[in-house]
Amino acid sequence: MRFRDHIELSFANLWKRKLRTSLTAFGVTIGIGALVSMVSFGKGMQKNVTESFRSLDLFNSLTVFSEGFMASERFDPDQRPAEPVPSEAPGVVLDDAALEKIASLKGVETVFPEIRIPAVVRFKGKDEFRLVQVVPAAVASSRILRFSAGKGYASDEERSLIIGDSLLRQFGVREPPAALGQKIVISSISFDFSRFGPEDLTAALSGERLPFATEDTELTIVGVAESQAFAGPLPIQSDLFIPPGVSKQMRKLPFSNVWDIFRASEGRLGYSALNVRLSSPAFVEPIKKEITGMGFRVFALADQFKEIQRGFLIMNMVLAAVGMIAIVVASLGIVNTMVMSILERYSEIGIMKAVGAGDRDIRRIFFFESSVIGLIGGIFGFALGWAVSGIINRVVNYFLARQGVPYIPYFSFPVWLALGAIAFSVGVSLAAGVYPAMRAARVDPVRALRHD
Amino acid sequence: MPPFPILISKLSKVYATAKVKVVALQDVSLGFEEGVFAAVTGASGSGKSTLLNLIGGLDTPTSGTIEVRGKKISEMNREELALYRRSQVGMIFQSFNLIPGFSALENVALPLVFSGMAKRERGRQAGEVLAQVGLGARTAHRPSELSGGEQQRVAIARALVNRPRVLLADEPTGNLDSRTSREIVTLLAELNRDQGLTIIMVTHEESLVREFAGCSVRLSDGRVQAEEKWR
Repeated sequence: MRFRDHIELSFANLWKRKLRTSLTAFGVTIGIGALVSMVSFGKGMQKNVTESFRSLDLFNSLTVFSEGFMASERFDPDQRPAEPVPSEAPGVVLDDAALEKIASLKGVETVFPEIRIPAVVRFKGKDEFRLVQVVPAAVASSRILRFSAGKGYASDEERSLIIGDSLLRQFGVREPPAALGQKIVISSISFDFSRFGPEDLTAALSGERLPFATEDTELTIVGVAESQAFAGPLPIQSDLFIPPGVSKQMRKLPFSNVWDIFRASEGRLGYSALNVRLSSPAFVEPIKKEITGMGFRVFALADQFKEIQRGFLIMNMVLAAVGMIAIVVASLGIVNTMVMSILERYSEIGIMKAVGAGDRDIRRIFFFESSVIGLIGGIFGFALGWAVSGIINRVVNYFLARQGVPYIPYFSFPVWLALGAIAFSVGVSLAAGVYPAMRAARVDPVRALRHD
Repeated sequence: MPPFPILISKLSKVYATAKVKVVALQDVSLGFEEGVFAAVTGASGSGKSTLLNLIGGLDTPTSGTIEVRGKKISEMNREELALYRRSQVGMIFQSFNLIPGFSALENVALPLVFSGMAKRERGRQAGEVLAQVGLGARTAHRPSELSGGEQQRVAIARALVNRPRVLLADEPTGNLDSRTSREIVTLLAELNRDQGLTIIMVTHEESLVREFAGCSVRLSDGRVQAEEKWR
């Protein structure tokens, strides 16, 4: 039998039983739709992370910590360390001397300390609490930040700042260019013992009167940075960036998180971390070795990226497994439809055999029919998955946008997913057609043609 | 040319179910010359249809051999049998056995589908054979739109479209009135006479047998009861 005849015959047969065919194919559609949206969600998340790693040049980044501190502390101050901080760790302090030493290593492009100043930001009559990050002008202007308006500050001394567009939105500014040139007030907190008498000590210990004072610094907005959708462990991650010169003049606390206080109590404060950018990813390993040799801890994002990839693989598999359940149910529907079809067409099969159809011809007729169901289900299923995830994406982004979260495409539809979904659907349908096809081929023509 | 194109030797067919054994044919030995119009008669259950199904390659014997034009079909496997049915024999039945959803032309072209012929050529050949059986004008009709006689003509056209040398007819007039029955048997007799087609027809109608056939075999309880030849 010719391929074309198989196609025509199967479409004709399926068309004859439109309702049943469409119900069965609809089952497949739902299954494939579920699978496609699950996989595209997994892939979408993975793509977002991978792309932000790529575009931000994160494979060139290292973060240096003083020995004894967990890499995770910096990213999640609320998280408890996995093990107690060894207080008798060798006292190598992450200070300016260490910074200079690291900066002089071959392959190191820039080094800047990790400084975040807790502050209240006042703009347009509203207050927001934020950690203000101190970033050198050279880094702020590099491609690690993307600007939706304006640019980075020109020098480390300029009295200006960069604001993230999501924070700007919370201040009610929707158009980033409108914010450029406007004044913004950073209110930092610092120790103030000038009006702190001995009689205040007891009150301070119980937390009633603390020796703190605030100081306002007025800065000009020169740039609006796009918020990073997938911040994660980025060296640059804040809603506000100020140059080091401004930071030096600000009165502020000498620590930005609880772990800094621990170290301060041991008399070796230094910086909580140093952000190191290399000229090429090839330097990651040698530099890591050298800095570790100095007695510091080094965290490379490239290493963590591998972990992230592994995590995504597992997540994708779990999502695909959930989608598979619907496919299995749909394939049972195909088996049922095809077996029904055999019973109905029993005499037709007998006739075909009597006029010379071989077992193989009959088998193929049924294989083609089930794969056409799979093909239809696969195409519509992909369309359904695409449509549903498009709607979910819009709805989720609509609500998140109101909270200042930038637009994220949560789903990804690479070409292979479309082709793969359809091919998979056809494949599953073929598998579902095995039993019916075998059964059809075994039909005894004498029994099928017996006229009762 | 061998003297006996269809040779049947010690043919037995036993249908065995879990509880009962039905002997449909027992030690049947027969010969049909090439170009003969033979009738097979006998009461219901005498094994007539079983004999025809075995010659037509629809069924396989329990024991014994069938040789058609030098080929032992009793030794063929399933694929070989399918090829045999497609190319060597044509069969027609009491209930016509046309596919209801197909037009007359499509029904006639069906065997050609399985030989892998292109659609256009199939249509041409099927149209020719339909014209030959007198249905050239009704090719687009569905079986339900045709009379019983016309349906049987479509079935005959389908049996002939692969140009077989043997036509097996299983009570072809069983569902037809006497006038139409006569027409159909006349058509078969013409095919036999004009094209030298070997025809083996199972029938009840003794009058038609005498008038059109050249010989007959009478079966009773799966055995040959009588053989007669008058032409």
